[in-house]
Amino acid sequence: MITAQDLTKRYGDKTVVSDLSFTVRPGTVTGFLGPNGAGKSTTMRMILGLDAPTRGHATVGGRAYAAHPAPLQEVGALLEARSIHPGRTAHHHLRALAHTHGIPRSRVDHVLDLTGLTDVARRRVKGFSLGMGQRLGIAAALLGDPATVVLDEPVNGLDPEGVLWIRNLLKSLAAEGRTVFVSSHLMSEMALTAEHLVVIGRGRLLADTTVADFVRQSGAGTVKVVTPQAETLVRLLSAPGVDITTTAPETLDVRGTDAERIGRTAVAHGIPLFELTPNTASLEDAFMDLTRDAVEFTATLEGPTA
Amino acid sequence: MTTATTTVPYRVTPARVLRSEWHKLWTLRSTWITLIATSALTLAMGAGISAAYDGNGEAELDTVVLILLGTQFAQLNLGVLGILSTAGEYSTGQIRATMTAVPSRLPVLWAKAAVLAAVTFPLALWTNLLTFPLAQSFLSGTDHAASLGDPGVLRALVGNAVGLALFAVLALGLGAVARSVPIATGAFIGLIMILPEVLAMLPYDIVDEAVRHFPGRALETLTTAQPMPDAPSPGMALLSLLLWTAAALAAAAAELKRRDV
Repeated sequence: MITAQDLTKRYGDKTVVSDLSFTVRPGTVTGFLGPNGAGKSTTMRMILGLDAPTRGHATVGGRAYAAHPAPLQEVGALLEARSIHPGRTAHHHLRALAHTHGIPRSRVDHVLDLTGLTDVARRRVKGFSLGMGQRLGIAAALLGDPATVVLDEPVNGLDPEGVLWIRNLLKSLAAEGRTVFVSSHLMSEMALTAEHLVVIGRGRLLADTTVADFVRQSGAGTVKVVTPQAETLVRLLSAPGVDITTTAPETLDVRGTDAERIGRTAVAHGIPLFELTPNTASLEDAFMDLTRDAVEFTATLEGPTA
Repeated sequence: MTTATTTVPYRVTPARVLRSEWHKLWTLRSTWITLIATSALTLAMGAGISAAYDGNGEAELDTVVLILLGTQFAQLNLGVLGILSTAGEYSTGQIRATMTAVPSRLPVLWAKAAVLAAVTFPLALWTNLLTFPLAQSFLSGTDHAASLGDPGVLRALVGNAVGLALFAVLALGLGAVARSVPIATGAFIGLIMILPEVLAMLPYDIVDEAVRHFPGRALETLTTAQPMPDAPSPGMALLSLLLWTAAALAAAAAELKRRDV
């Protein structure tokens, strides 16, 4: 469980994170979304005590990160840039971290195995590819068998196989009851992995919602139908998994089926259709709309009023 | 949470942080290279200078200072080793992993300083204890002939090793403050080599007095078997060097606590 309360970070007169409050719950994957420069990494660094908030505070498992007697057991973190001395081998990097907590060598071997690095464990990190570096960062994050996992852009630079591996890993960690908080600037990636979303733009909270709600609100995957016999059509289309909302008189938003089936159903029952439009807006568009709105909102506030 | 999460008693302790820093130091090639080079250079220079000594011309130079001329390199080598152990972590990003594991931060600084002192002091001491007899084998019959039992010789050999270890820790502190290997190295060289020379040119007695307590001079005083008439006592030099090192560590601790990683 991660709790952020009024988190604010200023560098000089530049506010990077502003009054950010949210809760990340155990047992699900929570996506932390925002365009580049939105303040995701800074927020994660504040959660881990690397950066001190200008105002507000963050707790993990009910306490400040630094107040835990075994921090690596509480939170495992993969941070944005590589946090590894390139001259050390993967094995020794993990051993050195393990020593601080009295974590046994068998656990080091276990996380190397888990991340598929056993064969390269005795090689210096200098020669690692981006993907291997990410895997080593994840091995370090899992070292303390942590209750909470915080990963900053874990799929960056990974090949498709690696991306799939991360997705499954995140889901299995959440299924084990852990808190999983993972940042990304790609909505599409989060839609595949996360159940909950915390969206920020320019350091401000834009949305704290479930992926399902976000998808519903975004209108992606719906079909707009305009017909004078709306009520009859609703009755005919009703089925498990089909969700129909009346947005205006004679106008329906249908989710859970496609334009072809709606059209055939209407023809079969002699119902005239004035409009039958699949909404092709992708999640990515919805996400960009949301963050763009925030930017425009700020600009309107600061700009001259008519 | 898995059951392992609640049953394994992981915990950060000062002794474990010390163990971690010990492991980190020895698993970098640069450590081995620096330490071997330091020892080898001191031995080679001591032997070379003694073999080439023709019995006159360096009579006013202290015998131990002459034999340990390699200290000039050793102080730089060990200083850089100290700087790498702190500033080097910032340049590689390793510091984020280190401080995430030990978020209380200060134990890392103390552990780094302790490990560095525990490695550099015995290394310098053994090197000195080998270099002296090796050099003396060339110096018998000259005005620099001496034995370990002569007054001040053993004290100077040990004092030099203590001084070098303190230099390394001083540099480690500078590295933690500067967070940059080149800046810290510049500051270290400036402090031990350049600044005292520049200050000594100023025509004020008080400045001359102060310069005698700068780290470079203090190390030289610690290395002399026969204290120079106008130099501070070895005890005084040791105190000066301890204070310089303590000041660097205090500044490092304050910065580490105050600044974001």
